[in-house]
Amino acid sequence: MTVTQSKKLAPIERDAENSGALMHTEIMSLNVGPQHPSTHGVLRLVVDMDGEYVIKVTPHMGYLHTGFEKTFENRTYQQGVTYAPRTDYLHCFGHELAYVLGVEKLLQAEVPERATIVRVILHELGRIHSHLVFVGTGMLDLGALTPFFYAFREKEALQDLFESVCGYRMNQGYFRVGGLSRDIPEDWPARVSVFLEQFEKGVTEYENLFAKNPIFLDRATGVGVIPRDVALDLGLTGPNLRASGVALDHRKANPYCGYENYQFDVPVSTAGDSLARFQLRLMEFRESAKIVRQALKMLKPGPVKDPNRKISLPPRHELETSMEAVIHHFKLVTEGFHPPVGEVYVPVESARGEVGYYIVSDGGSMPYRVKIRAPSFVNLQALEYACVGSQFADLITILATIDPVLGDVDR
Amino acid sequence: MTGGGNDGSGGSGNTEKLTGRNASMQSSQSQPVRPVAEVRPVPVDDPTVGRHSLAAQGLNPTDPRDVKPLMAALGLTEDDAAEPTAIVPAEQLREVAMQLKARGFMLMDTVGIDYSAYTSPRPKRFAVLHNVYHPDDHRRLFLRVWLHDGEPLDSLYPVWKAANYLEREVYDLMGVEFVGHPDLRKVLTPDDLEGHPLRKDFPLGETPTLFREGRFLDPATFRAGLSGQQRGLTGYRGELRRGQGEDRMPPVMPEGGPK
Repeated sequence: MTVTQSKKLAPIERDAENSGALMHTEIMSLNVGPQHPSTHGVLRLVVDMDGEYVIKVTPHMGYLHTGFEKTFENRTYQQGVTYAPRTDYLHCFGHELAYVLGVEKLLQAEVPERATIVRVILHELGRIHSHLVFVGTGMLDLGALTPFFYAFREKEALQDLFESVCGYRMNQGYFRVGGLSRDIPEDWPARVSVFLEQFEKGVTEYENLFAKNPIFLDRATGVGVIPRDVALDLGLTGPNLRASGVALDHRKANPYCGYENYQFDVPVSTAGDSLARFQLRLMEFRESAKIVRQALKMLKPGPVKDPNRKISLPPRHELETSMEAVIHHFKLVTEGFHPPVGEVYVPVESARGEVGYYIVSDGGSMPYRVKIRAPSFVNLQALEYACVGSQFADLITILATIDPVLGDVDR
Repeated sequence: MTGGGNDGSGGSGNTEKLTGRNASMQSSQSQPVRPVAEVRPVPVDDPTVGRHSLAAQGLNPTDPRDVKPLMAALGLTEDDAAEPTAIVPAEQLREVAMQLKARGFMLMDTVGIDYSAYTSPRPKRFAVLHNVYHPDDHRRLFLRVWLHDGEPLDSLYPVWKAANYLEREVYDLMGVEFVGHPDLRKVLTPDDLEGHPLRKDFPLGETPTLFREGRFLDPATFRAGLSGQQRGLTGYRGELRRGQGEDRMPPVMPEGGPK
């Protein structure tokens, strides 16, 4: 299963033939991280190297492990929305959506159309946000400082949009079981349109500025090739899998939130190298922008919460006149709702791949067990395969294009 | 299991609790301009929730994503969970996985569940679920293996390399041993942590909330009312609140007291 690039392994074999008679050689273990800018968080890699060539990579994870799954078991379902976005802090809405959709499947809650469309908009803006960080920091790892500032210019504008809907620039926790925590501001759709215009100009800028940069192309082409069968064997999902030629996108394959109503393409490449992984994400920028534009057109006024009082809090004004509303409010805040017994799983396509929450309910108002299917955790396994035989500088490229988020790896 | 509540209607089931106030609630909406509150019953303890929703809507009874024929071909029995789940005897797991791999399935996730505090009795304490998915025809199947405490399970690493980290995680957090895994080490918790945190008997290590006059709220007692194990009393007992019923208080403060 190991990806060996015979061309690059040649020096090792040659040295073996010369049997070190002239020079003493040995395998050197190099420690990378956990505090290293190219590891995008706190990942520690122990790299066994023969000269400049990597022969083995051993990742050590867990520095960010905070036991979210255990925390979920001791909080009510609605409180769990706080923890879901903190796992993947770059595409928070992906995790939020997966969790909320799972609980809604358990409850069979009815989400109003407006809430669903706002979810789609935020889900796609979150994907853009995550890919912007990918482009900025990924290029930074390769020594290009400029893209970082270009990408973060758009990222800041996006975070302003997130802040104006829910008050948080990151780790939003804006979705609720049954809808949204509150309605979007009136001028928000217009501001998203303005952002999209600016953003699409920005994407053209990126493509001209660095996607065709010869130095970048030289460092990314043919580096860290993951063939199709290896990618499937390793359980890769998301852009990493699509770069290896498998057109799996849950927005198309298992549509949620009405994704079947949107026209968009899923870019797929068969090259499987770092360049393909980079280019696919650049293409996804435009596809996400396309979806957001369509969603903005569909947006109509309406409720943003399931009207079922056993799930959603009653409106504030009712608390002054209705005893039932007070009782519902009290029960929901102190105890929460009791979903029926069952086990559910809803896959969602996040910026990194398939996110799903396997939720086990025992009938209480806290989940019995929540298992997060974290795409970064599984994708990170590709590092051990893709790096073997490549140079150390390529390891940084490969790690950057696999794009793990360490919060998602460690949970 | 889930009924009860503050109204003290001990014998009432979930349906009654959830829908009982329907009539009075709607009649209380005196002003027609305000949106009328809608109360729908939350489906009651239906283990097949979601599974038959397609059939119930009259949609496509021969769904190409239906995995029942596949389960029949592999000779597996179906579980009553909401997602398409097959019960696999532990000794057959690797063979079943190899057949699935030959059909083009990929391993998406491995879930370990400790059922020791579950409300209804389960066959064994642990369940390991392998989430397999077909990337071309989009069938998804969960393989459920029941395990006693300490009972080892065949690793799926020889079948799918994806099982490497996934099984290490289940081993680390749930304490299930996988036979044939080449590198079964801890993956998320620190090396000096003893025990498996996602087991239900792993202590949470939290401190009680201290109020005036020495009263305190024990977090575990507070949460007991929220779990499925007890009737929902909002975790807040009237006697304790008024300083009565000392016999129901936890006998000792945890060592060191609140910080």
